[in-house]
Amino acid sequence: MSNEHTVKSYEEELQFLKDSLIKMGSLTESQLSDAMDAVIKVDKDSIDKIIKSDEEINKFRSKIDTQIMNLLVKRAPMAIDLRETISSLKISQDLERIGDLSKSNAKKVKPLPLDLPDELLGNLKRLGELVMKQLNDVLDSYVNKNFDKAKEVWEKDEQVDDLTYIAMESVIDFLSKDKKNLDFSTHLIFATKNLERAGDHITNIAETVCYLVKGEYLKGSRPKGKVIQE
Amino acid sequence: MSNIKIKSKNLNVYYGDKQALFDVNLDLNEKEVTALIGPSGCGKSTFIRCINRMNDVIDICKVTGNIEMDGMNINDKDLDVVSLRERVGMVFQKPNPFPKSIYDNISYGPKIHGKGETKSELDQIVENSLKKSALWEEVKDRLDEPGTSLSGGQQQRLCIARAISVNPEVILMDEPCSALDPIATAKIEELIDELKKTYTIVIVTHSMAQAVRVSQKTGFFHLGKLIEVGKTEKIFKNPDNKMTQDYITGRFG
Repeated sequence: MSNEHTVKSYEEELQFLKDSLIKMGSLTESQLSDAMDAVIKVDKDSIDKIIKSDEEINKFRSKIDTQIMNLLVKRAPMAIDLRETISSLKISQDLERIGDLSKSNAKKVKPLPLDLPDELLGNLKRLGELVMKQLNDVLDSYVNKNFDKAKEVWEKDEQVDDLTYIAMESVIDFLSKDKKNLDFSTHLIFATKNLERAGDHITNIAETVCYLVKGEYLKGSRPKGKVIQE
Repeated sequence: MSNIKIKSKNLNVYYGDKQALFDVNLDLNEKEVTALIGPSGCGKSTFIRCINRMNDVIDICKVTGNIEMDGMNINDKDLDVVSLRERVGMVFQKPNPFPKSIYDNISYGPKIHGKGETKSELDQIVENSLKKSALWEEVKDRLDEPGTSLSGGQQQRLCIARAISVNPEVILMDEPCSALDPIATAKIEELIDELKKTYTIVIVTHSMAQAVRVSQKTGFFHLGKLIEVGKTEKIFKNPDNKMTQDYITGRFG
């Protein structure tokens, strides 16, 4: 455990920043989970609530920006404090983007029919659960400053790629059975892709946590799963 | 890889019974700026005073161990200290121009070291030194005025001009900006950047931000010991030693 800063208010400001980021993280988690549920259950009633929670996340982002600006101007942080400050800036950006993707997914629920086949939703659900687990793990690694756990998340994104591929395949398969499915299948393809992109933001966060803890960037490129055709 | 200009090995300094430096091993690279940081009384000034034997003027001071410049033993009893100080210039915390004209402030050193025999040679040295210390444009029409009539920042640049007038190899700076305002500080920092192309520079500073801005290498001293030394970027982003981290982040209890 580090000693406390000689200047108490500096200590408080850093702690306040960390707390804000943790709150923003848990809000992003619930939003991602709610959006997934809404898609899987084709629950159109929850859409508005999810869109609204994205506004909350955006507010956190600008609040964190202000805190970081103040810290940089007032304290000129060094070493671990500098890494903490810069990491918060980067992580909050990634969280905000994950929030946007969840909102986008919630919006995709509207045109979906209520009788989608289980198999189709099953693959999407597995992907969603994995992305949720990844977000949860990466936020844990941030809170506990756990390098190994962050690296594990980073490596596991390969599985997100693979599940995305499988989910995409099943949507395309479904689409090819009947052209009537074209309209909402497109929405499902976007929803799948959004989850994969959320996964990429999670790996960004994992990289940031690794840098925060050790002061060095992860070397080499992360393992990649099957490539999805853009 | 830069050449090592100054090398200290197991350097110990005592003021009477009190030991001020403990086995300091520190290499200073040629034509680079090394910043020394640490709380007051940690030994950083004592260390730089070993480089030009300024500790000689303190009777009770004893230096053991080894300190070399280009392989020459600085502590050698038979070493000509005057010629050492010709090679190693020093700039202090408070600007201390001689109570003489701007011109004489700079020509004094070369004269006593037998450089610049004629008036025109001296004129040239004065002009070059003032140009190198970025003061020429501001004082070229008033070289006869007393050095003390200049502003604090100008006086400090005058002292730097005075130090470089004898064409040294190393310049020691002991908190050169602590008495200056931000603009004057910026000018000195800009100057240090320029000077490092020609000279090896060591700067003692209490400003972390200044150490980051001007130096390539940083050493952290605490209670007479060199705790950590390394690339400046590494020291301020990700130091290895917890004590260094605590100091630069303001966590020192």
